[in-house]
Amino acid sequence: MKSGTKTLAMVAAICGLVLALAACGSSGNNNSTSSSGSGSTSTSSSSGPKPAQDGSGQTITGGTKGGVLNVVQHEDFQHLDPGESYFSLDYEVIYPTQLTLYLFPPNNSTSVIPNLAAALPTITDGGRTVTVHIRHGVKFSPPVNREVTSADVAYAIERGANPNVANPYFPAYFNYIVGASKANGGPISGISTPDKYTIVFHLTGTYGSFFEGALSLPLSAPVPKDFAAPLDAKKPTAYGSTYLADTGPYMIKADPKTGKFIGIGYQPGKSATLVRNPNWNPNLGLPQPAYLDQININIGGDPNVIGRQVLQGSHLVSGDTPSNTIVKLAYQNYYNQFFAVPGAAINYVALNNAKGPFANVNVRKAYWAALDREAMVKVAGGTIVGAVATHFIYPGSAGYQQAGGDAGPQVDYNMYPQGNMTVAEKYMKLAGYPSGKYTGSAVIKVVGSTGDPAPQEAAIANQAALALGFKTNFNTVDQPVMYGKYCGVPKAEIDVCPNVGWIRDWADPQTLLDPTFAGYNIVTTNNSNWSQANWQDGPYGPHPGKATTPIDIAMKAAEGTVGDSARAAAWAKVDQMLVADAVAAPWNFVKQPQIESKDVNGILDLWNVGSFDYAWTWLK
Amino acid sequence: MLRYIIRRLLWGIVLLFAVIVITFAIFYLLPNVNPAVLRAGRTPSVQVIKEIAHDLGIDKPVYVQFWLYLKRLILHFDLGYSYYSSASVKSLIFDRLPATISLTVGGVIIWMFFGVAVGIISAIKRRTLLDRATMGVSLAFVSAPAYWLGLVALFLFAGDIGKFPISIFHGAGSYTGLTNSPLNWLQSLLLPWFTLAATSAAIYARLVRGSLIDVMGEDYIRTARAKGLPERRVVFKHGLRSAITPVVTVLGLDTAILLGGAVLTESVFDIPGIGRLNYDAIQHSDFPIVQGTVLLAALFIVVANIVVDILYAYLDPRVRYT
Amino acid sequence: MSLLDVQDLRVVFPTSDGLVHAVDGISYSIDAGRTLGIVGESGSGKSVSSLTMLGLTRLYGAKIEGKMIFEGNDLVQMSDKDLRKVRGNDIAMIFQDPLSSLHPFFKVGKQLIEAMQIHRDISRADARGRAVELLALVGIPDPKRRVDQYPHEFSGGMRQRAMIAMALANEPKLLIADEPTTALDVTVQAQILALLSDLQKRLGMAIIIITHDLGVVAEIADEICVMYAGRVVERGTAEQIFHSPQHPYTWGLLKSIPRLDGRRDEELVPISGRPPSLINRPSGCHFHPRCPYAQEAHKRIDPRLEPVASDPGHSVACLLAAPTRQRIWEQLQAGAEPESLVHLARSESPAVASEAGS
Repeated sequence: MKSGTKTLAMVAAICGLVLALAACGSSGNNNSTSSSGSGSTSTSSSSGPKPAQDGSGQTITGGTKGGVLNVVQHEDFQHLDPGESYFSLDYEVIYPTQLTLYLFPPNNSTSVIPNLAAALPTITDGGRTVTVHIRHGVKFSPPVNREVTSADVAYAIERGANPNVANPYFPAYFNYIVGASKANGGPISGISTPDKYTIVFHLTGTYGSFFEGALSLPLSAPVPKDFAAPLDAKKPTAYGSTYLADTGPYMIKADPKTGKFIGIGYQPGKSATLVRNPNWNPNLGLPQPAYLDQININIGGDPNVIGRQVLQGSHLVSGDTPSNTIVKLAYQNYYNQFFAVPGAAINYVALNNAKGPFANVNVRKAYWAALDREAMVKVAGGTIVGAVATHFIYPGSAGYQQAGGDAGPQVDYNMYPQGNMTVAEKYMKLAGYPSGKYTGSAVIKVVGSTGDPAPQEAAIANQAALALGFKTNFNTVDQPVMYGKYCGVPKAEIDVCPNVGWIRDWADPQTLLDPTFAGYNIVTTNNSNWSQANWQDGPYGPHPGKATTPIDIAMKAAEGTVGDSARAAAWAKVDQMLVADAVAAPWNFVKQPQIESKDVNGILDLWNVGSFDYAWTWLK
Repeated sequence: MLRYIIRRLLWGIVLLFAVIVITFAIFYLLPNVNPAVLRAGRTPSVQVIKEIAHDLGIDKPVYVQFWLYLKRLILHFDLGYSYYSSASVKSLIFDRLPATISLTVGGVIIWMFFGVAVGIISAIKRRTLLDRATMGVSLAFVSAPAYWLGLVALFLFAGDIGKFPISIFHGAGSYTGLTNSPLNWLQSLLLPWFTLAATSAAIYARLVRGSLIDVMGEDYIRTARAKGLPERRVVFKHGLRSAITPVVTVLGLDTAILLGGAVLTESVFDIPGIGRLNYDAIQHSDFPIVQGTVLLAALFIVVANIVVDILYAYLDPRVRYT
Repeated sequence: MSLLDVQDLRVVFPTSDGLVHAVDGISYSIDAGRTLGIVGESGSGKSVSSLTMLGLTRLYGAKIEGKMIFEGNDLVQMSDKDLRKVRGNDIAMIFQDPLSSLHPFFKVGKQLIEAMQIHRDISRADARGRAVELLALVGIPDPKRRVDQYPHEFSGGMRQRAMIAMALANEPKLLIADEPTTALDVTVQAQILALLSDLQKRLGMAIIIITHDLGVVAEIADEICVMYAGRVVERGTAEQIFHSPQHPYTWGLLKSIPRLDGRRDEELVPISGRPPSLINRPSGCHFHPRCPYAQEAHKRIDPRLEPVASDPGHSVACLLAAPTRQRIWEQLQAGAEPESLVHLARSESPAVASEAGS
């Protein structure tokens, strides 16, 4: 589990760079909303401006068939192999071209529906055994052309442990399978395929309900072993980077004789083309309506140019996050073509729970109370693309309402979006500073990241520390350096990390809270528990790797909780404990902005980060 | 003359070899990044890294590595594979080269036309209002960043998003290969060409103007006039012939640099050329591509230097035997 | 009628520093087949008058007054187009530095052919044949090979010969040679002068030689104008200028010629001081700041070019009385230092001076 968490943390740090565009403050964007002080985006949430469309209640049926959708995106894909991809932009291609076992439909972010699977899984043995039956008659795209079997699903998951594939989330979610933690690409003892259409997973604990969600991730999409195994022997694998077999309604355009798609359906840094999969059978009852005939993706371009092309043009959507300038333009002039999907990420100020003044819970509460979170949200892009955070489970995730919803748990230090010094001083007094200000000698280290608007956000966070009477040593460095050398390294003993953030892997709150606040997940480098919450169970604490603190015990219990609503309740309780312990100061519930042309009916994936789902989108 | 060319060629080969050594040093020896780790994916075991290191040959002594690298490069023009997309760097470069060549050649033609024309007019009409006006405008263009100029051009005139759209100016991201559709190729490149040409045309106009003014003060121009040559012929034949020679030197290098990748213009107009390939590769620490594009750029510059030297010898008979 | 008759020519260049009075009312004439030497230091305006003849000073915005009658037509009034037909055709010019005056990028033959083809309808092959002839005419050995060479492949003397060949291409009636030998070494100088003289005899053209070196014109000039600060200060036949020079400036020029018959230890005496600015010219006699014999009155009175009594065809613009000049020149010839002769000028009566200057 430990090494697995380490991997996840490392990936999260990388995701912090590229995935959480909004969360981490996409670089190169104009920070116009903060400096212009434009009235339309200033935050007085009660009488604020008309909220942007958020994709909730979108109609996903009744579209018109046909047409070509053009996608423009500034960023390139990272991995189009379902075994490797772990990036929202990659998912936009993976989900229309691959059938994962389960799927969060666009209108439901919290419960899965069967996809390649014929029905919801049978969870038996108290949650220790998960049995999945797959549909008959689903076929791989050329050149494989044969029917998909349960063995293909087994191989897909097994190859995730192959070092040449190295699936990034395998250790976090698939090590629950018996024998998986020792796997390196070969058969896993906990996976069995009693017949061509049945696959059974034996788990190490009662993780069945959580595991069901993991079976909606791309790793569960079938891979034909006969075709892929020779390719997987290459370092790194050529499957998914050069050759591919697709099962979804679409396929990346490829040579039908060899399955080679690089240079045909995908030119790195240039373009990608999705065409209809000739072996797709619309009569199998699969959920995707697949209205579009073709999707042409153009990679590159200035965000401000491609944003305007989408807003003013025809049959276009933006594949990645529009710049702040475009967001403002879209919100003001193209209201009906603009969406801001809640639940894209959370941003918080990590406070060092292990060492220094913030090891005192009351100092942390005082800091949270003093922090002008509203100003930070404003700097980050305003309330169109964010909301002042009050706790850690963010909107759209299971447990959000149970944990307190928009207002969050009832504590006085999260009640004042602009900060409240009276409350702050109250907690400083409780911490042993009778004046209400810090009087110790420590100079605290604040490390933020560069790239607008992160430094401005960090400056506000630094200001809160100064207001409490601290002397600070405030620096901003490149984001990879911030994660890799400072905030992700416990030994660096950074007191305040204002620019950290996290994105869930799906709407289960475990994917949100476990990597970031569990003490037993702390690692020495590339750590993602930047606050070192529950450090007692970390490598430098008295009980490394064990769950001994109340929060860690609650998290361990929540991991093994079976049943969606029970899980939501269990993790909501963890969230409330984290708020009570003020492990960090959350400040932004990040929303994902999306834009489309006026003649496009874009359907958004609410379960992930609100990307467009091309398998549902249609042209008006 | 032949000996001169051979000497230049040999010197060019020496230079290229130096560039190869330097890029090898920079990309294989200096960084603290183990290429095996970069290639190995996200959760490599020590054993896997060792195997990949062995496959890549980076567990061998440096001089052996360099020898292998040189052998691959020279015998097969093999530049390795992208860490990021695993595509062969050679194929990526050849895939991107046509766009860059299209952009460069068109841009050079336009800027030479305007630069030389404006330069001549300014030099002849020296100190007149026209001269001052054109030099003022050119100063503005010289100072304008290409990226900004491109954005302004797009926002004003692009067929798709322009305030005053001109339909023959296709917008950003519309690049089409010449062989696919010559008309679309032309229309997608018009704005980039003019943007690329604007700055350089301004520089060249000032260069031509200064050079021509100097030349027109030479004794042999007085001789040409004393012969009774019409002024037009004095300027275009006797004056320009000398004035253009230093311009050719600069042009050769500028063209080479652009062929190595016009990063800004390619980025703002979303033209999939060498410049963007290089830029994206730097963003992703994709060393084989960076190395390949740097070598390509160096090759262009060395070749351009040789071409310029030979052309210079052709243009100026005095340098031939020196 | 003279071939060329220059009457009261004035050329003024407006510059940002003020008006440059490059030529200030000069007159001279030359007949066909004759040679005129115009002598003066650089900045005396001697080249400007000939450049003006070819219309080349117009290009720089010069204001030109006076007349330059060439074969009955006034070159000053002529249109650019008509003047261009005269230029290089009836009147040709060769310049001081033959390397910088030939285009470095064109073959010598090509430059010769171009000179011919502007003014006459001649085929390329014929022009080339004539180019070879011309090179032979000016004494360039192996002209068939040389015609395809570049100027930098020629020696200095040969370049000047090539320049002369180019000037002769259209059989001009008047050849202007502006410092034709200055950039060349002494033996080559003599060859070039001999060549010019020889060509004149064979072709019958008039020659104006412009030089700062009286020695150059000694052998070949029929008549000589000495110019100073844009004016002619002395004019006469070569004989008159060399044997009875009247102007102190001419004395200075004569003293600075190396003489083959002079004593070995004889020092060359350059004229002290610098040529005056043509923008702010000295008052009175423009030469007074440099003239050892200048009197107070000379700073106010502007001398005119007047005939020298008893010496027909000889004129001078000097305020010193003729007998005084005679005495000083005699003493100078005897080897006296100019400084030791100042008293000779001082002793003369102011009345003579005022008479000359009024």
